[in-house]
Amino acid sequence: MGTPQPFVIYPARRVITINPAFPFGEAVAVAGDRILGVGSTDELASWGEHRIDDCFADHVIMPGFIEAHCHVMSGGLWNSTYVGYFDRRDPQGLLWPGCTSIDDVLERLAKAAADMTDDSQTLLAWGLDPIYFPGERLVARHLDTVIGDRPTLVLHASGHLATINSALMDRCGIDETATSPGVARGGDGLPNGELHEPAGMMLAGEAFADMMKANRSEQARWRYANEARNAGHTLLTDLGTTQLWDPEQLGNWKKVTSDPTYPARVMVAMSNLFGATADPAELAELCVQLKSEQTDKLRFGIVKLILDGSIQGFTARISWPHYYKPPPGHIGNGMWLTAPDQMADLVEPYHRAGLTVHCHCNGDEATEAFVEAVEQVLERYPRWDHRHTVQHCQLTTPDQYRRMAALGMCANIFSNHIYYWGDQHRDVTVGPERAARMDACGTALASGVSFSIHSDSPITPLGHLHTAWCAVNRVTASGQVLGPDERIGVPDALRAITIEAARQIKMDAEIGSIEAGKLADFAVLEDDPLSVDPMALRDIGVWGTVLGGVLQPAQISKL
Amino acid sequence: MSPPRLPVTVVGGYLGAGKTTLVNHVLRSSEERIAVIVNDFGEISIDEDLIVAADSDKLTLANGCICCTLADGFAAALMQIRSAGTLPQRLLIEASGVADPAQIAAYGHTPGLRLDAVVVMADAEQVRRQANDRWVADTVRMQLAAADLLVVNKIDLLEDADKADELCDWLAGLAADATVVRASRAAVPIDVLLGPRSASDAANARERPAREGAAAPGWHAVEDLFESQTVVLDAPVPMPVIEALLASLSDAVARLKGLVQAAPAAGASDTTAREAADATAYLIEAVGKRTSMTPHATDPTQPPSRWAISLIARKGALPPDWLAARLHPDC
Ligand SMILES: Nc1nc2c(ncn2[C@@H]2O[C@H](COP(=O)(O)OP(=O)(O)O)[C@@H](O)[C@H]2O)c(=O)[nH]1
Ligand SMILES: [Mg+2]
Ligand SMILES: [Zn+2]
Ligand SMILES: [Zn+2]
Repeated sequence: MGTPQPFVIYPARRVITINPAFPFGEAVAVAGDRILGVGSTDELASWGEHRIDDCFADHVIMPGFIEAHCHVMSGGLWNSTYVGYFDRRDPQGLLWPGCTSIDDVLERLAKAAADMTDDSQTLLAWGLDPIYFPGERLVARHLDTVIGDRPTLVLHASGHLATINSALMDRCGIDETATSPGVARGGDGLPNGELHEPAGMMLAGEAFADMMKANRSEQARWRYANEARNAGHTLLTDLGTTQLWDPEQLGNWKKVTSDPTYPARVMVAMSNLFGATADPAELAELCVQLKSEQTDKLRFGIVKLILDGSIQGFTARISWPHYYKPPPGHIGNGMWLTAPDQMADLVEPYHRAGLTVHCHCNGDEATEAFVEAVEQVLERYPRWDHRHTVQHCQLTTPDQYRRMAALGMCANIFSNHIYYWGDQHRDVTVGPERAARMDACGTALASGVSFSIHSDSPITPLGHLHTAWCAVNRVTASGQVLGPDERIGVPDALRAITIEAARQIKMDAEIGSIEAGKLADFAVLEDDPLSVDPMALRDIGVWGTVLGGVLQPAQISKL
Repeated sequence: MSPPRLPVTVVGGYLGAGKTTLVNHVLRSSEERIAVIVNDFGEISIDEDLIVAADSDKLTLANGCICCTLADGFAAALMQIRSAGTLPQRLLIEASGVADPAQIAAYGHTPGLRLDAVVVMADAEQVRRQANDRWVADTVRMQLAAADLLVVNKIDLLEDADKADELCDWLAGLAADATVVRASRAAVPIDVLLGPRSASDAANARERPAREGAAAPGWHAVEDLFESQTVVLDAPVPMPVIEALLASLSDAVARLKGLVQAAPAAGASDTTAREAADATAYLIEAVGKRTSMTPHATDPTQPPSRWAISLIARKGALPPDWLAARLHPDC
């Protein structure tokens, strides 16, 4: 049989295939949405009738990056104004410099308010991280001085707090008579605008609902994919944000991914969260059903569960000696979001349905509970190659990695934490020793556990070059190296963001490396990640992607 | 006058303790119109999904990676309840089996709501093991400590009464603020769970005639394990007397509820017209060690007979004139 169809050869500065049997090529040939082959231009030309496109002659081509843990909220939040501490690029490609002081935050908000035309609209903002403003506190009074009467809500980066202004407090009936422990008070004993935890935040009612509603829209899905494309990603997951039993949310996924110009593939996890039926067997059945109807761009087959909270929120389940310097009044350990002794029963129906279970485990106690559950389920229903994955996997211990390897489990490690909160983990949450072995890519590698690394966007920004940079260098925001012995080499980091990520969502037969027959999904880079100084990895420019053979240049988008 | 705040009952306790069984019991036995919110984290319920639907709205909410979605869920559930045709008279929240009931109770402070009680279920057969479990010991103990009413459920599974006594003593130590109540199939008297009906009749449904015998002196049996008494007040009660009453409640008292006129100073025996005018109406309540006094808007044209206090106590724990003696310390 000859050439499938007339094909295109893209000569490149270098093609990094992530295929150990054929690691590099000078060019890649694409026929339709598939890779015809990698090699020299001459070798590829011998397939038959072709066209040579030199547009990537100066670029380095890699398999498209695969983010195996992020949330569509990442696209929805850009409906609100970003006031985070770190620089962040929005889906339009615009760089939002970090707000590194309370004054910066206020200035950003004042500008956003001034730009609003509809007087009745609430100003919504997100990403405030007061952990970087010790001793200071953004309160309603500050907001009032710069914004005045327009109701305003600022969601903190942790997701556990919001600060609102007096106008919104008035509208929500929050005054000195408030009895909710979620309503924080200032030195004068009056509510200061901070709303704590769900019980407090829900008092902001509709403003809050507006912010969350944005996540369900088509626009959020476009922005999500645009942001991904601009960072070199060709596949995103949505790990438990979508209520797949809601026709509107599922319909919006179907709608956007059926548009040929939509710039990403999406793997949407089934989750038991947010008002699902309590019966996992029903959810498993729904997931299997969706999987049978999946398309090239819209995928199903993974399930998201959750066991504990977060380390920086002191709610992750960490074994003794627990937290290092918890805040006063802390109960000692974190909290379970699912009863650990129910995990096996919860995993079983998904496991039996042939699905892959991804479980949020930040603390090592959570990892232990999940690993044990998988062990029990495997005893009941042996199954090869399930690839059940410990998500976040931040404090997983070497013995746990050994068990995971034996059980055929995968890890998706939250490497971005090293940079964004590594200093706090060393100094406050878990202390120097355990911080040094957090997000242990080195141990995962040595134990033979297949692992990927992730951003958990919107928790930290989407962008695998940065995430790989974290795993390789383990440099914190203050510039210190945290746990040098857990660093991995660039080649291993590049595998983690491509083929290993594909493997844990069971798509490694189709994507994750550049090999004949696979989908033509590429990250097109301005420089060679294997040649630059590892500390410069995150600074490599991204031209854009190729998705199923279609060029997707990074761009200022119309949305 | 703003509408009365919706009382909120939080039902907590570890997985399998009998929370759903209790919710169903309340829905079947109470005359109130009740909305139920299940704070379900995708738990597997052991007997299917069995909240009985009779006359109640059931809403589920759950948590995610990102906790703000929970706030969104609760706000939405509440909006849904408020926009429904007939407002419920009570909100029942079944907490997840690993939730801290105290945190769920914080929702009871939403404007328009009022936290009535935190009821925590314990599985008589399992709770000791659970409270020492390598993973959930702290969770279970935190749940027990949050209780106003601690229901030691599945008593039927214990061998004998001695075992039950011993267990309840031990649990009372872990649930320092709670009244301990034993039950099988969560069949706790509804007045113990939701408050005495006679006083709640007085407070919420005044037009209804007081039930026959409700005001008769002495104890009235409340099913097998409890008894109740009501004292009708024909005059304002001095504030210090009310405060002393609330402070004197032992864990034998499961519930107290009353609508009283509090007089600023002593002198209940020779009430003058001026004192009566100065008196302020309060709804007083107690469940476990949680006591509250809420100013109560009154209609001055109402006859005085509706001022009353009811209490429910463990059978045989208090003398017949206990409440009267506290209200009339001089007599
Ligand atoms: N033997 C016995 N079983 C009970 C009792 N109360 C509830 N159960 C059973 O215990 C199981 C768990 O009860 P459920 O109400 O679902 O617990 P939840 O998880 O706390 O909501 C169910 O099978 C109930 O039928 C009881 O008093 N005795
Ligand atoms: Mg239940
Ligand atoms: Zn996540
Ligand atoms: Zn998570």
